[in-house]
Amino acid sequence: MNRFAKNFLVASSLSAVMLTMRSASLASVDDAQSFALQAAEPYVKEGFQVREDYWGGDLGGGEKKAVRQQLFKGNEYWFWMGTEVERAKISVHVYDQEGKLAEQGDGWEKGHFAGAHIIPKATGSYFIIVAIEESPEERTHWALVYGFR
Amino acid sequence: MSPTTNYLKLGAFALAGLTICANAAQAPVRIDVKSLTKNVEDVVVPLPNEVFGALNKLGSVNWKEYVRSQKGSNFTERPRIALLLGTVIADGFVAVQAQDTPAVKDIGQRVLVLAKAIGVGNSITPHAKAIIEAADKTRWESVRQELDRTQFSVQSAMNEVHDEKLSQLVSLGGWLRGTEVLTAVVNKRFSAEGAELLHQPDLLNHFQTQLQGMPEFKHPIIREIHDALVEVRPLIDKERITPEGVKKINDITTRIGNGIVTKE
Repeated sequence: MNRFAKNFLVASSLSAVMLTMRSASLASVDDAQSFALQAAEPYVKEGFQVREDYWGGDLGGGEKKAVRQQLFKGNEYWFWMGTEVERAKISVHVYDQEGKLAEQGDGWEKGHFAGAHIIPKATGSYFIIVAIEESPEERTHWALVYGFR
Repeated sequence: MSPTTNYLKLGAFALAGLTICANAAQAPVRIDVKSLTKNVEDVVVPLPNEVFGALNKLGSVNWKEYVRSQKGSNFTERPRIALLLGTVIADGFVAVQAQDTPAVKDIGQRVLVLAKAIGVGNSITPHAKAIIEAADKTRWESVRQELDRTQFSVQSAMNEVHDEKLSQLVSLGGWLRGTEVLTAVVNKRFSAEGAELLHQPDLLNHFQTQLQGMPEFKHPIIREIHDALVEVRPLIDKERITPEGVKKINDITTRIGNGIVTKE
């Protein structure tokens, strides 16, 4: 095999591996999103409009991530988090700009699903803290969706 | 019962106890937000109907007054089309609030034309059809959902081909139109609660940062929007937004809105 052909083969194999890795990683966040949407499903019947847009990524066990979101007084919001790692334990909580816990008391954590509920007392920015509390995986994909009414 | 079974039982109880503790774990009542700043994900820009919904709860609004029939110019520059597309989708939410079937159907068509012009028509065609069909059946909730899907699909298609900046302009166009309508409603019948809905300093920061990352877009309208956000910032970055402040923001966003739909 000549040098050009060798290089071409190596480059195309590397590209194929990278493409596969990229689509695998995308697929997992997509999977996590479908679990987050599954958690949201019962609330749609209660009049919540679930946004198409969502946040997602991956975290190690015990790691947290903050998401900043503009909320409007007068609306009621639920944030739903999901992961495809069934044996993971996850959580989601909402804080105001001063870092004070701002959610209602009916939030929940059920294994690889979690939900947080807020009726904002003021219009402004809030922090939604997502966490992978425990996971058998080194990195765990997560997705967060929200709905309002 | 064998000792092994006892141990297994104890183990199972301990595990169940741990699970209950994990489920019942209380979130800290206070966190240090300054420590989060490096680890904060980007914002999801609220849809106009999110703020319109909050506005509706403060009293009835005659949304028909705010439905816009002006279709906007036919631009060839992609940044201008992106801004206009965001504005038109926001107009769709206004038309849904007004339950104006002909306006919603026009907007469905217009969205499709603009999406095609910017090269993402394929992903929008089913949504545009769904918008028109749902409007015909006056299923407003479905129209709202399809408008959200439309915006998400447009932006996802743009992001896929690394046109993230155009995707950001779609959001910006929608936010500007939403703010124009919000200020027009509050300006007409001022209330402190209505004005408070304008308190969105972090969103303004978000848009300003994004615009600063678009030096290649040299269109005057982009510069005008940047300057407008600088003007708006001190007016909304306060606890109590005054009637004069609301009026001023309305003047600014109306001027920018006209600039987005009109060819210089």
